[in-house]
Amino acid sequence: MEPFDKQEQELSDRELDALLPQWKVPSAPTHLRAAIFPEDTEPWWRRFWSTSVRVPVPVACCLALLLALGGWRWMVPGVGRVVMKTERVEVPVVKTEVVTRTVYRDRIVRAPRTARDFSALEPVAELRPRIIRSVHVQD
Amino acid sequence: MTPQKAFDQYHEAVYRFAYRLTGRPDLAEDITQECFLVLVRSPQRYDPARAGMKTFLFAIARNLALKEHRDYGGEQALDDADIPAATVPRESLEVSSAVAAAVAALPQLQREALILFEYEGVTIEEIAEIVAANVGTVKSRLHRARERLRRALAPYRNVGNTHGTV
Repeated sequence: MEPFDKQEQELSDRELDALLPQWKVPSAPTHLRAAIFPEDTEPWWRRFWSTSVRVPVPVACCLALLLALGGWRWMVPGVGRVVMKTERVEVPVVKTEVVTRTVYRDRIVRAPRTARDFSALEPVAELRPRIIRSVHVQD
Repeated sequence: MTPQKAFDQYHEAVYRFAYRLTGRPDLAEDITQECFLVLVRSPQRYDPARAGMKTFLFAIARNLALKEHRDYGGEQALDDADIPAATVPRESLEVSSAVAAAVAALPQLQREALILFEYEGVTIEEIAEIVAANVGTVKSRLHRARERLRRALAPYRNVGNTHGTV
């Protein structure tokens, strides 16, 4: 009786193997991808406003400190600013005298060449003779 | 392998595993999402030399489910072979629901080993890596889980193309 009872109370391996696959589960929801990889579905300009950058805490602290320091220096007048100021300063200067003297020296200068052609000699259009009275001195 | 490729290839398996492990679709969704977010945020945690991507993801899912179980699972034992079968399936239950209930009634460590082996086709060696136990322990958990299921599902002997015993 006992083996029969055990057979009644328990399934065999084959029976169990046939039963187990009958438990079906639904598929994964389709919005999972969008939840994990939002950059695949969102346009770039929307990502631009929602993207975050991970910065190590020490770096973030340094950046915040620098920002605060810069802001304070900008807000407080005269601190850390470059101011241009004109001052009159006496500077010793060595004075030198310039003397101008005239110096003559000989040198050969060539005379300018004159034209030696007869182009300027032309016959006159009207001859006007002029009689000059001669004076004889009677001794 | 990029996180996108890993998601395309394994998200269904991870979701199924998480669903069967927790019995809750919302929790399964959270666990699946968290698994792949780990991969996106710290890809250096995955070492191909140590284990395959599927094993890595199942291990994360398993740890998340275990944490959930510890935080909110109440006083159910993790791996107690002496606890009685938790459910006595009624004749009116569908076979699918009966199997789900019987598996859900298993202790956590037996349940995860059984689900990975029977439903996800993971080898015993891979299960040992996922659950951080040795192969002998995994075999023992599987044996006890199947033993418990054989008793719990006995009323459904003649349902689902099963006839008689060997």
